[in-house]
Amino acid sequence: MARTRPAPAPFDPRSTTRPDEVLLRHYLFQSACSGPLFPIFFIGQYCRYVSLRYRFDDEGVWMAWGVLFKKEINLAYRRIQDINVTRGLIQRWLGLATVSVQTASGNSSAEMRIEGVLDADGLRDFLYTKMRGARGLDEEHAAHHPEAGDELLGLLTDIRDGVAALRERVETLEARP
Amino acid sequence: MSGATERATAWVYRGVWGAMVRYLRVPDQPPGVPPGGGEVVRSVKPAAGFLRYLKLQFWVLLVIIDVCIIGPWVILLVVSPIAAAITAPVFWGVAIIPDIFAFVAIHVRYDTTYYIITERGVRIRRGVWLIHENTITFENVQNVEVKQGPLQRHYGISDVLIQTAGGGGSTGPHGEQSLSGHAGLLEGVDRAAELRDLIMSRALASRSAGLGDEHHERPTARGLSPAHLAVLRDIRAALS
Repeated sequence: MARTRPAPAPFDPRSTTRPDEVLLRHYLFQSACSGPLFPIFFIGQYCRYVSLRYRFDDEGVWMAWGVLFKKEINLAYRRIQDINVTRGLIQRWLGLATVSVQTASGNSSAEMRIEGVLDADGLRDFLYTKMRGARGLDEEHAAHHPEAGDELLGLLTDIRDGVAALRERVETLEARP
Repeated sequence: MSGATERATAWVYRGVWGAMVRYLRVPDQPPGVPPGGGEVVRSVKPAAGFLRYLKLQFWVLLVIIDVCIIGPWVILLVVSPIAAAITAPVFWGVAIIPDIFAFVAIHVRYDTTYYIITERGVRIRRGVWLIHENTITFENVQNVEVKQGPLQRHYGISDVLIQTAGGGGSTGPHGEQSLSGHAGLLEGVDRAAELRDLIMSRALASRSAGLGDEHHERPTARGLSPAHLAVLRDIRAALS
């Protein structure tokens, strides 16, 4: 139990679409706690694990699950009120956490519970920088790491290089007597 | 308490703490600071008075419960000394062993509570079995409550409750807010007024209602990022 676990891969919003396999083991433990009702609980949990999908895009996060009864939740980053990270004992052993995201809706329980992300702290930092009142890092980040495949930026860079080459050519022509 | 006893209890407590870190995977470091950069960060533990306050509660409860357990045993001792002698380990065990656990739990609770306060928000961690970490930005704060009972006043501590928008925060039997719903509770802090002023000044500085974000993601107009602007400036420099 006490062996040190390698640090999880940093959270990447683009590639996170499925919960990690460890989540199934967590569900197994959870269902086992219900004793004789284990099969009933585990079938439900297994369906949730198999069908759970996430999508983190520029504006918000989407999650969906369900085999018979499907459910999906859409949530805009800017509407996030508070972010809770809870780790139970079994979750800590497995290196998991539940990231609960709350909006200003009327229920006291979390609107979205993101499970099965190994780098929960990374996910929380990602959501935190996107929620309101936490500005500052985002612009710096964008300045130093422009998103790959940004067409406008590529176009502008080409124009700049073209203008520079043109200017150089004009200067060499002017220098000629 | 003599020096040797104190050293022994400290040694035992370190052992308990070590086992918790090792087997229960309780983090022994304070929680990470929310990203943001260039901020004044304060890591606040509950005040020392909070520990004394919890211990007073503990002693009062201990006396009440133990009188209820040991009282019948004393009556039994008067009625039938032999039966009392046989059942003594059970009675005294039930009376004393949970007390030791509860006393250690108070220290553990105190040592696992962290409040990280930055210029933009607050992060609260509490719990041992189930570790809660709640992050709230001050922009989203709707109201701040400061509560202080007479005993808490004696120890110079208050509870600061930060509430965000959204309903359903059920209140427990002793007035404690449920930890999951739209609120952050800073228990047992000694500079409550200072904290309240800091949080309210942040909340007032924001001209919005704290419901979503009215500003555009990037302050530069027309959807241009700083990287785009940098390239455009390069072009202007090349043309001039």
